This record gives sequence, structure tokens and C-alpha cells, in this order.
Amino acid sequence: MAGNLKDREAYERLNYLYQAAHCVLSNNPENAELARFYCFTQKTITRRLVLRQDPSVKRTLCKNCSSLLIPGVTATTRQRRKNKKTSFTVMRCLNCGKSKRLLNNPDYSLWVDRPEAQLENPKQPGDKFYLHIVT
Amino acid sequence: MATAGKQIKKEIKKPIPSKTSFTSPFTPKWSPLPQEDIHFILNTLTDKLVSTGLEKKEVKVFRPWKKKKDKKNPISVTEPHPEVSKDAPVQGSPKNGWTDVAARRQLAIGINEVTKALERNELKLLLVCKSVRPKHMTDHLIALSATRGVPACQVPRLSQSLSVPLGLKSVLALGFRYCASKDDEAFTDTVEAITPRVPSPGVTWLKGAARSVKPEVSVDPEEEQEGAGEKKGQKRKLESDSEVTESASPCTLQPLKVKRIVANPTKKRKRKAKS
Repeated sequence: MAGNLKDREAYERLNYLYQAAHCVLSNNPENAELARFYCFTQKTITRRLVLRQDPSVKRTLCKNCSSLLIPGVTATTRQRRKNKKTSFTVMRCLNCGKSKRLLNNPDYSLWVDRPEAQLENPKQPGDKFYLHIVT
Repeated sequence: MATAGKQIKKEIKKPIPSKTSFTSPFTPKWSPLPQEDIHFILNTLTDKLVSTGLEKKEVKVFRPWKKKKDKKNPISVTEPHPEVSKDAPVQGSPKNGWTDVAARRQLAIGINEVTKALERNELKLLLVCKSVRPKHMTDHLIALSATRGVPACQVPRLSQSLSVPLGLKSVLALGFRYCASKDDEAFTDTVEAITPRVPSPGVTWLKGAARSVKPEVSVDPEEEQEGAGEKKGQKRKLESDSEVTESASPCTLQPLKVKRIVANPTKKRKRKAKS
């Protein structure tokens, strides 16, 4: 199923850069600049080829300076309240100071995580899918 | 067969539009705890808390809104009894606050407090509630505790069992701090009882490097001193290079993970004004 992936090499590059950024930061916490460069390159590739990235990846990258956000090392995470009801999880990049807010809604789940979104288990177009393969 | 062929052709013309997205190869997960350990931990904690009697007492003071003229009169008429009964105990012994302040200082209760203590490396042990929704509220604690080497575990129903004895609404994270000088409180023996049951922390991209980071840090200053003493700078470079390559080997490349997703039909789209 993943054999006919378009821009496979681009995805491989994204994978390598992301892991290299993690590796570099874990070996030496002073290497934040290098990790930032890797993530910047990763973003550029994504932008040029218009590739989609999972929220789990995008949430760990700073939108402003594109540094790799690791809670405790390059970013701080706090719970903040707006009213008495709504509370946010706020991630703050230590490099540029830009904060990323995630709303704490217990009933919300990302579309990516829902079972309807997974391509392996299509509900209605199931028959069409099989027909597509057979012929 | 012609009609069947036509039908098949029509259906082929509509392939499902799927999107491929680059997913993270690391998924920081909490290591699972066996049932007995969960019960053991919960029971030890609740017993300890009940015995210490650590509780936050908050007396609900009835505060009238700023529109005193209109609202206070009807409200005070309808609720005279709870007001009277609450006024008396406010002046009495249970004042607002914690019963045992010294014990409270030894614990870090609440996600923010636990995060701050972890950033300052003050914690010995970390317990997180598993029934957290949404999960991203506590996900950052996994990576934080893994980098500091603090044993951490996810315990279901932590909030339900601990909020009642503590007198709080919800306890999503609990951390035990390092004692300064004397081993005052008996929290230390609870920590020692729980710690062997807690699985050691581990993140994929850290597994090999975490151990190598700590000895590296201690070795580097020594190396620098030796390098400064030596006249030839090349020798120092060779030494540091060999060190770096040794520690870089544990980081193995995880295979590429790609998710295939069906487009969301209920996605909000901006309506372009058709002129």
C-alpha cells in the first residue's frame, strides 16, 4: 500500500531530519541551533512539495523559529486558565518566546486519531475500494 | 456483463481521496503498570495521606456580587441558614489552607507545580493520573521525566482516589521532592516502597543517549583541562571526535512512518464569495 507513495524520497528526508534533530539534541543540549536548522530544512521541504505532516510532528515544532520543542529542554509547558472553565496547555518556545496554545477539551479528538479517518477501514466506500483493486 | 462493466467503471471513477501525512516515528508512551502495582500504589498513597491528615481546607465564603443593592437583599433572604452556619466555622479552627504545611512542601501537587519542580530537578518520584482527557495535558511530563531520569508512571484513577483525602477537586500529577537536610517526613518510606515498582523511564530517541549524556558531561570538563594543558590542539580534537562517534551510535534510524488519511467531510471551509 505504501509502495506507490509519491515523493517517497522527500518523506524519507523528513524522517531523517526529524530524527537527526532529536538525536543531536539528546547528545548535546547545546545543539539547539543545529536542531533548529534541521527542523527549518524539514519545514522548507514540506512547504515546497506541500506535504502533509501529522499534528504530533507539527506540535513539536515552533511556528516562528522552527526549533524542535522538547518540554524541559527547549520549551516550557504550563496549564493556564482563560475563564473559570476553559483551560489551555501552553507550550512556550525558549528560543523565540512564541507560545503555542492547545485547548483542553475532554470531548475533542483530532481527526487524525479517529477511526473514520484511517484508510485501512473505510466504511461506505469499502466496496468501491475493493473493486478498484480488482480491476 | 455490459451493465456490470459500466457500473464498475463508474465506481472506479471515484477513488477515495486519501492524504498521506508524515507521522512522528517516536510515540512517547507511558510504560504500562501491572494491576497489582496499581492497587499497591493507590493503597499506600491513600493510607499515607489519611494518616498524615494532609488536607486542603477551603471554606466557601458567600460573596455577594458587586451589585449589592438589588441582589444582596433577595439572596440573603433566600439563604440565611447556610450563611449563618458558615460564618461560625470561618472564625473557628479550620482556616483556609493546608493542615500540614511542612508535608505540603514535600509534595508537588498539580501539573504546573510538578512541571516546574521537574525543570529544576527537584523530584524523586512522579505519579501521573492515567484518566486524563485530553491526553496532551500530561504528555509533556513523559519527555521531561525521561530527560531527568526520574521514575514516572501512569496510574489510572489517581485523581479519583487522591482528590477526596486531599480535599482537592482533581489531582492529575503528584511529585515527591528531595528532602533538604533531614529526612523529616515519612514520605521517604512511601517513595522507597513505590519506586521499585515503577518502571524505568525511556523515550525512543533517548534510550541510548540518555546514559551516555551523563557520563559525557562529567568527562568533558576533564578532557578540556587536559586539552588546555597539551600544546598540540590536534590531539584534543581526535579525542573529542572519538567520544562523539561512540555516543552517536546508539541513535538508530527509525523507519519511515506515513499515515494515510481520508479527508474530513465536516471540515470547515471558507466560502469564497462568488461574484
